Amino acid sequence: MSAEKPKIEAVGAYAPRFRVSAEEFERAWGRFHAAGVNAKAVPDADEDALTMGYEAAVRALDAAGRAGADVSFLAFASTTPPLAEEDLTARLGGMLAVPADATRHVFTGSTRAGTRAIDAALAAGPWADGSDGGDDEVDRVGLVVAADCPRGDPDSSEDHAAGAGAAAFVLSGSGAAEVAARAEYAEAFPGTRFRRTGEETVEGLGATGYERQAFTETLAGAVEQLDADVSEVDAAAVQAPDGKLHYRAAGALGVDAETIQRCATVHELGDTGAASVPLSLAKALEQDDERILAASFGSGGGADAFVVENERERGGDAVAAALALGGEDAERVGYAEYLRKRGELTSGPPEGGGAYVSVPSWKRTLDQRHRLLAGRCPECGDLNFPPEGACNACKSLVESYEEVQLPGTGTVEAATVISQGGAPPEFAEQQAQSGDFAVVVVALDGPDGESASVPAQVVSADPQSVEIGDRVAATMRRIYTQEGVTRYGFKVRPQGTE
Amino acid sequence: MRDAYLVGAAQTDFGSFPDESYRSLFRTAFERARESVPAGLDPDDVEEAVVGTLGVGGRQLGLSGPAATEHVGLHGIPTTRVENACAASGYAVRQAVQAVRSGMADVVLAGGVEIMTDMSGDATKYWLGVSGETEWERLSGTTFAGVYAQMADAHMAEYGTTSEQLSHVAVKNHRNGANNPHAQLGFECSLDDAESAQTVADPLTLYHCCPTSDGAAVAVVASEDVVGEYTDDPIRIAGVGAASDAVGLFQRDSYTGIEASQRAAETAYQRAGVAPDDLDFAEVHDCFSIAEILAYEDLGFCEPGEGGELAESGHTALDGDLPVNTSGGLKSKGHPIGATGAGQVVEAFKQLSGDAGDRQVEGATRGLTHNVGGSGGAAVVHVLEREQEVDA
Repeated sequence: MSAEKPKIEAVGAYAPRFRVSAEEFERAWGRFHAAGVNAKAVPDADEDALTMGYEAAVRALDAAGRAGADVSFLAFASTTPPLAEEDLTARLGGMLAVPADATRHVFTGSTRAGTRAIDAALAAGPWADGSDGGDDEVDRVGLVVAADCPRGDPDSSEDHAAGAGAAAFVLSGSGAAEVAARAEYAEAFPGTRFRRTGEETVEGLGATGYERQAFTETLAGAVEQLDADVSEVDAAAVQAPDGKLHYRAAGALGVDAETIQRCATVHELGDTGAASVPLSLAKALEQDDERILAASFGSGGGADAFVVENERERGGDAVAAALALGGEDAERVGYAEYLRKRGELTSGPPEGGGAYVSVPSWKRTLDQRHRLLAGRCPECGDLNFPPEGACNACKSLVESYEEVQLPGTGTVEAATVISQGGAPPEFAEQQAQSGDFAVVVVALDGPDGESASVPAQVVSADPQSVEIGDRVAATMRRIYTQEGVTRYGFKVRPQGTE
Repeated sequence: MRDAYLVGAAQTDFGSFPDESYRSLFRTAFERARESVPAGLDPDDVEEAVVGTLGVGGRQLGLSGPAATEHVGLHGIPTTRVENACAASGYAVRQAVQAVRSGMADVVLAGGVEIMTDMSGDATKYWLGVSGETEWERLSGTTFAGVYAQMADAHMAEYGTTSEQLSHVAVKNHRNGANNPHAQLGFECSLDDAESAQTVADPLTLYHCCPTSDGAAVAVVASEDVVGEYTDDPIRIAGVGAASDAVGLFQRDSYTGIEASQRAAETAYQRAGVAPDDLDFAEVHDCFSIAEILAYEDLGFCEPGEGGELAESGHTALDGDLPVNTSGGLKSKGHPIGATGAGQVVEAFKQLSGDAGDRQVEGATRGLTHNVGGSGGAAVVHVLEREQEVDA
């Protein structure tokens, strides 16, 4: 049997739980420069494009009933990768336990990066792997992750719009949604949303007419190239740099505003950059829209367009979806807190030295920090985390622990809240940005009812509310940054929260 | 094995002393320790020295022992630096006892020193918690306040210990410290002060935490063969016990007790042939109020889970049945990490010499010192007694 070309099997999405409203900006600035954005998502101090991408990816894989080990192709797209140079798919793949020989790509440099990544995955598949020989063909998948948290100067319209979010797609031959047509288009429009080398903030010329022309003409150019009729689409996932511009392109795209609004996320999440169209596409697939146009615009004058046909139209299965976009669970923050969380008001990590974990030492622990690998003592059967040296329970010096994958849930055994100023300096900047945090000793569940105790920070919770006996689940966050190298690792959040 | 005796012990004031260096503080403690020996101490008699220090701030991390002893003119003798976090100089005293008992030396100096307050708050924080388990515990965002807070949380959940009981420990130790001229925080505090102070690491408030301190302390240990040259009223180091445990709390069997303290105490009592009831006073490691409550239980002053009630009952107050931390403890006297263990021995020496002034425990004959490293990765316990009173 020859493998089918890739289709969308599952989608996952994630947005940070904090929201700042347009009214907060109006209160701070007198006016809000991103009309149509009601609120936008604000990453916590220990979140970035990589951790948000991880959140979306695990949800997509879970929804698909897949594991990282099934991934043959991994693409990560962001205009705000935490590092300007470093192949972040190595880390992301590590966090997801993607095999070492998977194909990997990073897409960046424009808000088109998310759709470029989808396009590349579609071109790269199928991945069904017959290497086992015979009929036992192993079904492999592609995983596309788009995550972004753009920023501008605080008084710019770009910053007023700038939100955060991530979407991820599991692609396989057995997916329910097919990309029936795709096309792209480019024409040079210099000066349309750009970021200078070495800068963290995007800017625009403020030449409204020119920018609108660039946006509309390139998007329309891509859509015109499609070998498909877009007039009948149920939803249109269109790049949304603010709350209005994408509606202005409706006419040129041949769709109406309601069709765009149907899957828009910009009004509640803000401008999500390279994740903008992927998030809207995920939302359309989640709500079982049958025929979907996806159209993204990239800085400088490029555009991608897809038509996605959901097999639901033909009575097939729906695309599995797990979207964690906050909604009613979102926590509102004021403008000052928004600036704090973004690090605009804090002075960076303190000077000094002391306890030090070298990067090579950190790397040795990635099986635990990223993949929760514990070890079973061959003498007494107790779980050890990390599995090294003498057993915590029977104290016998273990030659080699039996590897045990922990599922990532656990129970709080002891808890405290570290008040501001009370954290080790590695966490001073984080604490300055997001305040007190809870730290627990958590008994992580083993596969057979046993557990392994480990200290962990608690996220996504009022720190004061964390108590002994609480159930928690692991997630991935920035731990700290030293020597310019951010160390990522698991933290825990109350089970049942996003 | 021959006996070892404490023939002198003294300390600097504990506090913040921008004019002092670790050398100058060590010198002051050394000179006072010489003076504290009833018949005086000729420096040439000292055959060996053990110096405890963590080395907060870096300064002289390597060879800090010889750097201190050569500075005070103890030229040429072997000096070893001991590092066991906050138990450094408790272990230094233990090593001095070992050297004397083994016959290698007749007079050994055991001391400790630390400078903690001459840096920015940020730099200090880098050093607070360097003795926690670094890769996992510290990098979950805790310093020691956080780890002891977790132990307090677990103790409260298991035994119903209250925040007010923690505060009783602070109130008592401040009351004692107010009578100790060497104390850093030598003022009294009310239960309300302790309860309403800002939270450092929930449930611990500022008054449940010891300060950072500069200071030095020195003890002089002599063998039974020479003790008569230094004093007519010898103080015998009757029992020594020490033990280790996993450095990280999460790696241990219990979060509501310190097993290293239990083991160290058991050994010390056994060697001394005494029981907790035989003690007249104790200096215990109260880096945080919960630590003193754990110590009550670990050292056998009460049953597990009853430490909070014991603190509240007045049993361990200066006029109680078993006064604990008559010096003010780490809480009020101060906690210059490397000097703390030897500093506890200084208080024991004063009590057993009848030289503790307004905080004197009447008729003090036998006392205990208890010094913990980190959150329980190391512990050392000494039982000391006035030989003539005991034998009488």
